[in-house]
Amino acid sequence: MKRPARIAIALLMAATGLLTGACATVQPWERGKLSNPCMVFDANGQLVAYDNHWQPSREGSAGGFGAQGGGCGCK
Amino acid sequence: MRVQVEASRTGKVLVGALAAAAATLIAASNWADNILTFGLHGFQDSRTVTVLSPVVDLDKDFTDRSGLKARFGVDAVTAASDSCARCHPDGANNQRTYGDFSYRRKYGDYRLELGGEISRENFYAADTVTASLSRDLNNGNTTIAGGYSFSSNRPQLHPTQTVEQQYAQDVYVTLTQTLSKNTIVQMTYDFSRISGYQSNPFLRTSVNDILVVGNAPDLRNRQAIALRLRQALPADTYLEADYRRYWDTWSVSSNTMSVALSHYFRPSFMLGGSYRWYSQTGAFFYQPSYTGDPQYYTADYRLAPFSSGLYGVRISYAPADGLLFFPKHTALDLRYERYIASTNFEAAIFSGGLRVPF
Amino acid sequence: MNRMTSGLMALITGALLVGAGSGGLRAATGPAGLDRPAPDLRLPAKDGTQVSLSDYRGKVVLVDFWASWCAPCRQSFPALSDLADDFRARGLSVIGVNLDEQRKDADAFLVGQPHSFEVVFDPSGKGAKAFDLKGMPSSFLIGRDGTIRFVHVGYSDKVLEAYRREIAQLLSEPAGGRNP
Repeated sequence: MKRPARIAIALLMAATGLLTGACATVQPWERGKLSNPCMVFDANGQLVAYDNHWQPSREGSAGGFGAQGGGCGCK
Repeated sequence: MRVQVEASRTGKVLVGALAAAAATLIAASNWADNILTFGLHGFQDSRTVTVLSPVVDLDKDFTDRSGLKARFGVDAVTAASDSCARCHPDGANNQRTYGDFSYRRKYGDYRLELGGEISRENFYAADTVTASLSRDLNNGNTTIAGGYSFSSNRPQLHPTQTVEQQYAQDVYVTLTQTLSKNTIVQMTYDFSRISGYQSNPFLRTSVNDILVVGNAPDLRNRQAIALRLRQALPADTYLEADYRRYWDTWSVSSNTMSVALSHYFRPSFMLGGSYRWYSQTGAFFYQPSYTGDPQYYTADYRLAPFSSGLYGVRISYAPADGLLFFPKHTALDLRYERYIASTNFEAAIFSGGLRVPF
Repeated sequence: MNRMTSGLMALITGALLVGAGSGGLRAATGPAGLDRPAPDLRLPAKDGTQVSLSDYRGKVVLVDFWASWCAPCRQSFPALSDLADDFRARGLSVIGVNLDEQRKDADAFLVGQPHSFEVVFDPSGKGAKAFDLKGMPSSFLIGRDGTIRFVHVGYSDKVLEAYRREIAQLLSEPAGGRNP
């Protein structure tokens, strides 16, 4: 396997380890900051959908952030 | 197969029906949370392609455990016929109409969402169905989710008017974890498999000095992993950082890294900036032009090696009393971005959205 | 699928299993079966005076925990005022406990929300902890004898209907405790 891929895997395993190990439980009433749109993943669904539409129409990559639609004949 | 794809009319009727169905489902309820979002996007690039995309979203909660989403939009494309060096003139001006619909339901800690999308334009029709399931754990601090989508895409060639077939399937798994009151991370793995016709019928490349439509492989398996962070900083400032590694069986692989910083000058006014770096390798069969007898050949510039930077600014304005005559908590979002690629390709992207809760 | 991707899937499955063991969010709605005495709340009102839950013994109390950043909380406010007005004469008291960590956020919210019930402030969350909230908003209906009788997490039309039923039931009980 190529080196960059191995680095990526190592990072991800570390991240997963961190995630499952560092489960600090945040109580429901402490979620004030977490409710800000800047803290919510894909808060602006319309904008995210647009980015996931024009970027793959000008780049060779797609996906990584949830389900993708059916594509288009975009030149 | 020689079938004329009556994309425009049937598609528009279907999409209109979808919108009407969504509209009739609006029931009066003094609790129900409804949000209408009106959006307008503008895209203009150095290939002289200009696209104006108005779109409207409806997000409606029926109860605290069920709801629906509907979207209706149009991409109005204009381009000079020489916008891509060897382009077919009929493809230059185009209008894509699309509609999305999804229904969601909570069962205890589980959330199920089923949906579909229909997209129609000259020379391309796409139908998609999607399903996703998520589960909350640790009192809402951990969420694991997965989804699947299946698309049937039908590009139409010209001047033969032959309709080709392409199937795309996508599956993903996502883990979201709250690390503290101010930190949340997410990890996603995405796999998609595209089979069938995958050349671009509008673009022609030079093979032995003859211009021909490309011939791409019939199968493409694509994978991506992404790691995302959202961090609340002191003084009403927020940091967003995303990384994605992508690779596929055409030997295209890429790294995407983006950061954004947002600051609230007042609870109702936010200003932010963002930067996204992107770099990809080329497909194994990509060449600017070809000689000899290549098995695969393409004019699709998306398969060339290049890197790019995307610079953006954004504003969010949501006065507590409501904007003009709109209800309370209406929010206006504006964003301007500039895309600059190493291949001398540039684009300007504008996005405006008005989110109206009612 | 190659080794890396199957490794990743295994990791994520592992994370799920680890998480599954620690349990999920349990929405408690309706008769909670708790019947435990309500923890004593002593929190400041807007003018600074201390409000104590024990002072309300003999009345039926609806304690609602809310915050400015919680959308269903915003929606429930008018309903809470209506309940307070409708049942005040019969002995209902409504106390809204604010959990914003910054008072200015709560004040900004209250400016646009007329309310006819008492609002107290709990920025450190000690009241929320004592009542062991499972979600936002959370409300607790306390009988005349000071025990928690009904708990609701979240807000919807159904919750409002439940409030009316449950409040009527609790108001019909004598001061010493429930009907035999």
